[in-house]
Amino acid sequence: MKMSPQDKKLDEMLRSSALVAGGFMGDDQRSVFEVIEADAATLRERGVNAAMLAQRMRELTETAKQGLGTWVDADGGAMRVMSEEYKGILVCPWGHTGHFDKRIIIAERPATGQTLSWTDLNVHLIEAHGFFEGKGSAFRVEPEQAVRILIE
Amino acid sequence: MTDILITVLIVSSIAAGLALLLVIAERFIANYGQCKITINQERDITVQGGKPLLSALTEQKIFIPSACGGRGTCGVCKVTVREGGGLLLPTETPFLTKEEIDGNVRLSCQVKVRNDLAIEIPEELFNVREYTARCADIEDLTYDMKRFRFELTEPKAMDYIPGQYVQLLCPKYKGNSEEVYRAYSISSDPEDKGVIDLIIRRVPNGICTTWCFEHLKKGDAVRLNGPYGEFRLSKTEAPMVFVAGGSGMAPFVSILHFMQKTNNLREAVYFFGGNTIRDLCLAEQMKGFEKALPNFTFVPVVSRPEEGDGWEDETGLVTEAVKRRFKVLSGYEGYLCGSPGMIDAAAKVFTSLGMPEDKIYYDKFA
Repeated sequence: MKMSPQDKKLDEMLRSSALVAGGFMGDDQRSVFEVIEADAATLRERGVNAAMLAQRMRELTETAKQGLGTWVDADGGAMRVMSEEYKGILVCPWGHTGHFDKRIIIAERPATGQTLSWTDLNVHLIEAHGFFEGKGSAFRVEPEQAVRILIE
Repeated sequence: MTDILITVLIVSSIAAGLALLLVIAERFIANYGQCKITINQERDITVQGGKPLLSALTEQKIFIPSACGGRGTCGVCKVTVREGGGLLLPTETPFLTKEEIDGNVRLSCQVKVRNDLAIEIPEELFNVREYTARCADIEDLTYDMKRFRFELTEPKAMDYIPGQYVQLLCPKYKGNSEEVYRAYSISSDPEDKGVIDLIIRRVPNGICTTWCFEHLKKGDAVRLNGPYGEFRLSKTEAPMVFVAGGSGMAPFVSILHFMQKTNNLREAVYFFGGNTIRDLCLAEQMKGFEKALPNFTFVPVVSRPEEGDGWEDETGLVTEAVKRRFKVLSGYEGYLCGSPGMIDAAAKVFTSLGMPEDKIYYDKFA
């Protein structure tokens, strides 16, 4: 698919280290739009969409924040979540309004030991752009894993 | 074949001609000449027009904080532009609140100097300098925090107020193709003007912390600028409560050095929170401050001590420890450094115990 100059600029930004070390695309050779479409298809197969997943992540983020770095129970104990915060801010590579705290949420299902991590920026990227980051990116959220751990 | 070659030649010539035209246009048409920038209605500087305000000021040794080196990706380089800034750009609006926009706040890296300007910047920025330094020591504090000692080489001394921060330049390195600045609170003794200590906690995939932890070595030359920031002790005698977590310890180390050297007898209770024992640091240094400052108490708080740790001191959230120790905080001042979540929670506790909001001072990580 031919990319417009703006699309090319976005793709370059996502692959550069301008905003985070290693960028957002990892070693994924697909274009950002191919990544988005493939992940959207994965969600469709599981009967969910990006907005639903982002909403769930947002709720769990708010629960985790109350713990100030300690584990907090969610879903009546079926899950626990923790928030780790760091110095600095992140901005959206699409150039959207506002900035995002450097916060990593860890969600764990104690019964199975499965865990999933995400940042505030991940939630925004998923919600606003359907972007889960490229394969190999340090903060890629695997859609199938996210659905399995957070929704099912 | 000849036709193809001729076509290529013609297209190349046109492209070269256009490029030449652009160079000529930039030199003569886009030449904005000398422009005057009036700063805070009292200081005038003259700069060559055509460049971003941030660079123009930097060339005049006026350093506006920036985390991205003027690439328009951090939103830190805000200044108030009263006159001459032109229209607000779409590249700026993501970083500005409505109040800031109404108050003529602009991103100095996006404002081009095309004519005379009138701007306002905090007075403290006139004290900011660029420094070269040498990494003199790297000390492990915890599994994810290190203290880096930098000896200033040019200029050889920095005057700063304990609580302020510097911006460390992170160079390009393997895996990072961009230079960035990152802000870190100074944790050294302000009397030792030739040394800057920084306590840095590793951020997963952080651009600068990855460089600090994996590439920066003793003896390496670095660049930094500063000092910046308004976080500092008040000039009152009111008793104080300090709360910090992780690398939020940094400004308090500098403040405590200052209190010791100036024989400051203000009551101060410092709650330092960590999730586990391995998150605590500088316990011995804090004990030293307790010996030197008769009215200083250090209260480490571990939120989830593990079996066999032998931890017998405060546990749970740091805010809970504050509530256990204090029933009333009216008359106290609060000093907070750490994540937005911790600061908001601690400030809530302070005000619930009677501390006025305007007596709460903080240095938020974000």
